[in-house]
Amino acid sequence: MADLSIAVRHIGDVAVILPAGFINAHTVREFEEALEGQVQQGRYKILLNCKDLNYISSAGLGAIMGLIETVRENDGDILLSNLQENVFAIFDTLGFTQLYRVFHEEDQALAAVAPERKA
Amino acid sequence: MAAKVDHAQFRLVIPSQTRYLNLVTGLAKRASLVAGLDDATAAKVSIAVDEAVTNVILHAYRGEGEHSVELELRFTEQALEIHIWHTGQGIRSDQLVLPDPKEYIKHPRKGGLGLLLMSRFMDEVQFKADAVSGRNECCLIKKIS
Repeated sequence: MADLSIAVRHIGDVAVILPAGFINAHTVREFEEALEGQVQQGRYKILLNCKDLNYISSAGLGAIMGLIETVRENDGDILLSNLQENVFAIFDTLGFTQLYRVFHEEDQALAAVAPERKA
Repeated sequence: MAAKVDHAQFRLVIPSQTRYLNLVTGLAKRASLVAGLDDATAAKVSIAVDEAVTNVILHAYRGEGEHSVELELRFTEQALEIHIWHTGQGIRSDQLVLPDPKEYIKHPRKGGLGLLLMSRFMDEVQFKADAVSGRNECCLIKKIS
């Protein structure tokens, strides 16, 4: 099994990215390319559904941090949903839960970022 | 006569390549469980080990993959100790400056979070240099409560 696989869905103007597996220094480039690819397509509303993400190291956090200013300058945002306990602990320990909006479920996040869409 | 083996510790040597990170972090997590730590704490130990080994590979060895990283896991009644040795560029504990998370959030940028995660998730993080052997060490300690 690969360390990381990434699926992308588009729901309206929201890009839902589903990383599955492990984001570390070895796999982070793939994750970065997935994020950057959406921004290059002009999609600035990005939801990371982390239901199948087992693990993220600071390399992965850096990839998210590297894009947050760009997306917000373009009226977009990066949201997080379905975090497993240990992944939430990493974000929370570093205070990132103050910087990103975190939701239990994908539908809740979609409703927040695209209010006109019925969750 | 066979040499006496200390069953409370063992070593693993890996090439300085990030493709082995998952192997090392999986080992660290399972070792934490064997040491008596709970699931959530074991996950944190594995993250700290990932960050320490990543620092060695990317910074101490500048991404050069032909070197070695040696890990030793020591199980005591009080703690799980993970010692990581390398011969690359070393750092000392008194040279470290941990980023302030509040400032980091105000001014987002890449990098700088690995050491912070290590220090938050472990009870002790020590960096040492052995002038005689030329080896540098990062020691991570998690106490067993």
